[in-house]
Formats: sequence, structure tokens, C-alpha cells
Amino acid sequence: MSQDVAASGRMEIRDLSITYRKPKSDEIFTAVDRVSLTIEKGSFVTIVGSSGCGKSTLLLAMAGLIPRAAGSITLGGAEVTKPGPDRAMVFQDASLLPWRTVHGNVRFALELQRWKRDDIDERALRYVRMVGLAAFADYHPHQLSGGMRQRVNIARALCVDPDVLLMDEPFGALDAQTREVMCDELLRIWERDKKTAIFVTHAIDEAIFLGDRVVVMGRNPGHVREVIEIDLPRPRTSAMLDSPAFVAYRRQLREYIAADLLALQMVEALV
Amino acid sequence: MTALTSTAPVARIHREPFFKRHHRPIVSTLSVLCFLLLWEVAAMQGWVNARFTSQPTQVYKAALVIFAKDDFAWHCGVSFVSFALGFAMALAVSIPLGLYLGVSRRGRLFIEPPLMALYTAPRIVLLPILIVWLGIGLGSKVAIVFLGAVFPIMVNTMAGVRGADHRLLTAARAFGATRMDIFLKVLVPGSLPAILMGVRLGVGRGVLSVVVGEMFVSEAGIGHQIMTYGQAMQFNNLLVYAFTISLFGYGLTVAVRMLEDRIRSWRPSA
Amino acid sequence: MIALIRRRPAPFCALISFAVILLVWQMAVDFGFVKAFFISSPSRVAFELVRQAKSGELLTNLSVTLYEFIVGLVFAVVIGGFLGLMASWSETIQHILDPFIWFKYSSPTIAFYPMFVAWLGLGEPTIIVMAFLFAVTPIYANTLSGIKNTDPDLIRAAVAFGARRHDLFFKVSLPGSAPLLIAGLRLAVGRALTGVVAAELFGAAAGLGFSMSYYGQKLRTTEMMASLVVIMILGVIFTQGLGALEARVDRWRTGPVR
Repeated sequence: MSQDVAASGRMEIRDLSITYRKPKSDEIFTAVDRVSLTIEKGSFVTIVGSSGCGKSTLLLAMAGLIPRAAGSITLGGAEVTKPGPDRAMVFQDASLLPWRTVHGNVRFALELQRWKRDDIDERALRYVRMVGLAAFADYHPHQLSGGMRQRVNIARALCVDPDVLLMDEPFGALDAQTREVMCDELLRIWERDKKTAIFVTHAIDEAIFLGDRVVVMGRNPGHVREVIEIDLPRPRTSAMLDSPAFVAYRRQLREYIAADLLALQMVEALV
Repeated sequence: MTALTSTAPVARIHREPFFKRHHRPIVSTLSVLCFLLLWEVAAMQGWVNARFTSQPTQVYKAALVIFAKDDFAWHCGVSFVSFALGFAMALAVSIPLGLYLGVSRRGRLFIEPPLMALYTAPRIVLLPILIVWLGIGLGSKVAIVFLGAVFPIMVNTMAGVRGADHRLLTAARAFGATRMDIFLKVLVPGSLPAILMGVRLGVGRGVLSVVVGEMFVSEAGIGHQIMTYGQAMQFNNLLVYAFTISLFGYGLTVAVRMLEDRIRSWRPSA
Repeated sequence: MIALIRRRPAPFCALISFAVILLVWQMAVDFGFVKAFFISSPSRVAFELVRQAKSGELLTNLSVTLYEFIVGLVFAVVIGGFLGLMASWSETIQHILDPFIWFKYSSPTIAFYPMFVAWLGLGEPTIIVMAFLFAVTPIYANTLSGIKNTDPDLIRAAVAFGARRHDLFFKVSLPGSAPLLIAGLRLAVGRALTGVVAAELFGAAAGLGFSMSYYGQKLRTTEMMASLVVIMILGVIFTQGLGALEARVDRWRTGPVR
């Protein structure tokens, strides 16, 4: 029974391959090559890797936004083929509708998923409050800072009550200090409902700080190199950044990624 | 080292079918052909009165007759001269003025309002006044072409100068450039694309102006012919002249566009 | 007061500019530099406008011109907007319409005026058609462009939340294209006015353009100037008014990013 409950939120990826046809040519480029992953319900998984390793592509496939060439993705036993209310995506670009207020933007997701009219207003407001923007509910995106816009983005994703939260380098466009603040904020919000979260980043520290597990991806073609369990207690604090455990994880991840880059350079030297 | 092969079935390598790749020109050409065919057939079958609508074949025959006659070249020449003179004057005035307004905030504050008032008002309506001032000959035509072309060129020149990349300006200043240096070596070349776009727009307006002017009152020129044939209900002849001026305007616009593209290729970034 | 002028100098400078022009105009005539016959003078034009207002002539001309303008514009918006929507929805339709739009851009529409006169006679219908033809192109082009060029990030986000085609259209593309639509409307308004006035110059029984032509034949400069001033004021009001609307709508696109 508990196994059923766990299985209901579990995402299983088996032998997933995603290919693109290169524009203006007939070549096929393999972005993701036979990736297999299991993501347990309620876990926070970060995916890290150098550029071009297919981590964003993998995430988009989980969201159902791009087709796959082979393999399968299932969530709670059901196959993932297109976007659905069980998954919500947070893009690097906040993609907020400029003509709607903060409140209106959060409502947008609820409207699209056909929630009951009477509930939408109130529910949206609740999530606006949750991300700490209660005072800015009637502001328009152009009046907000980058960090604030991403908070709206997160509120929008959470309010539709997805089973899985997919985040594609959401803090990538923010400056270093804001990133740190947002990481704390994200974990604070996440701790409330402990939704399954999959977070793509190229910042190693972020990956370790946020995740229960870190999936390291390598490139050419995109594949899973390693999965590292992060054994740091929750809730995470910034003090942990200096702990020996953290430093060890960081070193480990650095090595993996550097090895990847080195291999690439060797190949390019040979070619 | 890395396998581009996969055990799973992968999208086949194939080229898009010919029809899909050339979708755009095929559909567009078919569209035009259908239109011409419909027009011809409708006139032939009497669905529409060919006296009012003419016919592709009639227009073609009329074109042959007209091109053979002497005065076709004469009328084209008259229109061209009016256009060229008016346009040249417009260039001579609008580019310097546009450059000046681009750099001078004070100039803008005082000169822009009446200029904008003139720009947004339909200048065609000035024709009767121009005729009172300059008579029905070359003068008023040149004037109306001038008025038509001068504003797009000036406004775009001004915008080009104002829209200069601030980073270039800062870099120039860091190297100790004087105001004149910056103006001549950074602002003017930098606004060339915008100026050319203004010229292209001005060409369109100028051609339109010469036609309107000649249609309103004139003794010669393409517009005059259009009006004469129009009043005589010889629409086949009218259409020949209408297409001629369209071709001329289009050709000029294409030439300016090519120049614009050439210039744009020199810039590494937008 | 001085502080106000300092902060927002533009309107005051504009006022000064126009005042100077009027002054120079008046003085040029009063002091004999230019003959009044050629350019009239502000005082004469003002009196003439009052006379026309009192006699009802101004109202008649203004209402005729405005009527033709509005009808032509409405047709342009409805038909141009509809075609633009169709073209944005289907590439095939866009490609079918392309050559005709392109032709319209390259040819001087006014050249076809005599044909419309033959079909519809001199007077209102032809004038309305001219206004329509002048105005329809920016509406079509901007509607098509606005919808097609909706920010792809917004589309992607909406799709990620399960938006279907009509959701995308009504909730993202349409509101997102508002700035371009309004810009197109601004252009169309100026063009429609030009179309009406131009057609009235050629053949009309009433209207501001007709007034110009009528008095022009009689070489009555003052009356011509009066009509000219009214037309220019109309053009400025319409274009600037829409320009202000455009600026307001544009605010939420670009704004201070901290």
C-alpha cells in the first residue's frame, strides 16, 4: 500500500533517447542517449552538467514538451507524452504575461487548467503570499526585479498543484546574491509541501545545496555519468556551504565535470 | 568515441518533399495566376463588364501599343524629372536637418512639434495651395515630391542618430574624441542604416506624390496619362501606366534595399 | 511654474514654437514681405474660420469628411483585421494574400481612383473606398505581424501549462499583439484621412478636401488656409492621440528593471 502511494508519484525514465534533426542538413543529432532514472516521490533531485549535455532537453521531455525518439517516461505509472496538470515547469525566463499583474499571472495557470472560477482568485492570492509577494500582487512584471519575477514564476507553477515541479535553471539569469537568496526561498517553499522537484543547473554549489540527489550528466551524447546521494541534513543552511561534507561533494562533482570537458578537448584535438 | 547510433528506432533521414519546401513561392504564384485567369475569364464570359474592368489580354495589347509610341518615353521622362528633382532636394534638406535634430536636444524641443504636425497631416491636401504658389507645371510637382519624401527621411535620420549605441559613444569618448569626431566618425556612419531605411520609405512616398500631383493637374507625365485615360474610360491604357509606375517605384525600393543589406553586412552586431 | 517648465519642457517649447511661427507669418504679411494673396495671415484665417463656423459651412464640411473617414476606417479595421487573423492562423492563406499585399505596397493606390469613379461614381462611395484602401494595409500587416511575433517564451510557458490553440490565441497572442495593433491603427488613421482628403480633392460635393479644391480654383487663399488648418488639426489629434495610447500600452513592455 505504501508502495502504491510511493509509486503514484514516482517518475521512471527508461532508456530515454531524444534526437534532433540538425537544421539545414539531414544529420541526426542525439541530445539524450539511453538515459534511465528513477525519481522518488517527494525527493529533490538536481541535474548538473556542462553545457550541451542534454539536461534541459531531458527536462523538457519530462514536461512533455518535446517528443522522444525511444524509451519511456512514466509518472505514477502513466506515460508522459504531452504537458499535463501533474507536472509544472519553471523556465529560466520567467515568461510572465506583461499585461497581467502578479496576481493575474498566477491566475493564468489556473485558468488554463480550468479550475473552478470561484476558487481561482483566492487560490492564486494564497500562492502569491506564499512566495512573499503579497504586497506586490497588483504590480506588473515590468515593475519587478528579476528575482521577484522568478518568484511569481514559481508561484504560478505551484498553484496548479502538480505532482512534479520541473525547474530549468530558474536562477540562471539572476545575479549571484539574488541566487543565494532565491535558493533559500525555494527550499523554504518546498519544505511546506515537499513536492517532487527536479532542478537543472550548471552551478555545482546550487546542485549540492538544493538536492537530495545530484545527477551528473555528460555530453556527446547526453547521458547520465553518475548519481550522487547528498547526505546533508534538512533544512539546509548556508553554514553548510563550508562544511567538509559539502566541500567533498563539490570536489567530487568538479572532477566529474572537468573530466568531461577534458575528454571533449581530447576528442577535438584528435579530430 | 561517441555513438550517434542508437538501438531504438530513430527518425529516418529524409528530405522534406519538394512541395513543402517551396510552399511559399508555389502558393503565391498560383494565387496570382488564378487571379489573372479569373479576371480574363470573367471578362470573356461577360460576368463583369470588360469596359469597366479591362482584361489581362487587353492590358497586354495596350502595353505593346503604348511602348511603341513616342510619347510613352516622354511622359515617363516628365514624371522622372519631377521625381528626381524633388527627391534630390528632399535628400539635401532632410539628411542634414535630421542629423542636426538628432544631436541637438534644444533643436528638437522647438523644431520637432511643427515638423511632426506637418508630418502627421495629409500633405496631399497642400496640392491646391502649391498650385496657387507655383503654377501647374514642374514647380508644384517638385514641391509635392519634396514634401512627400522629406519627412520620412528626416524622421528616420533623426531616429538613427538618437538610437546610436551608447557603448560606442562611451568608447570613443574614452579615447579622447572631440564632439566633432564623435559626430562624424561614430554617429553619422552608425545611423546610415536608419537613413537608408528613411530613404527607402521616402522613395515610396515620393513616387506616390508625383502620381497624385500629376493626376490632379498637369499637362504631362504618368499621372496625367492615368487621369486622361481614366476619364476616357480606357482602363487598359490606364493600367499599363499604373503598372509602369509601380514597377519603377518597386525597382527603386529594391535598389535601396540592396544598399541597406550591403551596409548591414558591415556591422557585426545589430 | 518655472520648475514645471524645467521638468517637462516639451509642451512649452512646442507652444513657443507655434506661437513664433504664427507671429512670423502674421508679420510677414502685415509688413509687406509677402503678399497676403499667397499665404493669407493668421488673423484673416481666424476670421474666416469663425465665419465658416457661423454659416454652418465648417460643420458641413467637417461632418462629411469625418463620416467618410470613419466609415472607411471601420471597414479597413474589420476587413484588414479579419484577413490578418486568417493569415496568422494559416500560412497558406498568408502566401495566397502575399502577392496582392505586395502589389498594393508597390503601387500608388490613387492611380486606380478613376476606375473606382467609373464603378461607383463621384462622391461618397468612391471616397470611402479610397480611405479603406489607404488604411487597410497597415492594419493587415500589423495584425499579422503582431500575432505571429508573439513572444515565443510566453507561448512555450502557456503550452507547458496545457494551453490549447484557442487559449493561446485569446489569452496570449491577442493581448500580446496589442502594441503592434495600436501602432497599425495609428498608421491607418493617418492614411485614412489622407485617402479621404485626396479623393475629395478630385471629386466631391462637400468636405474639407472639396473645400480646398473649390476655393483653390477660385484662388481664394484665405479660405484654403482655413480648411487646411482644420485638416491639419484633425491629423494631429488623431495621430498624437493614438500615439499616446500606444505609449501607455508600451509601458508594460519596457520598464525599469532593477
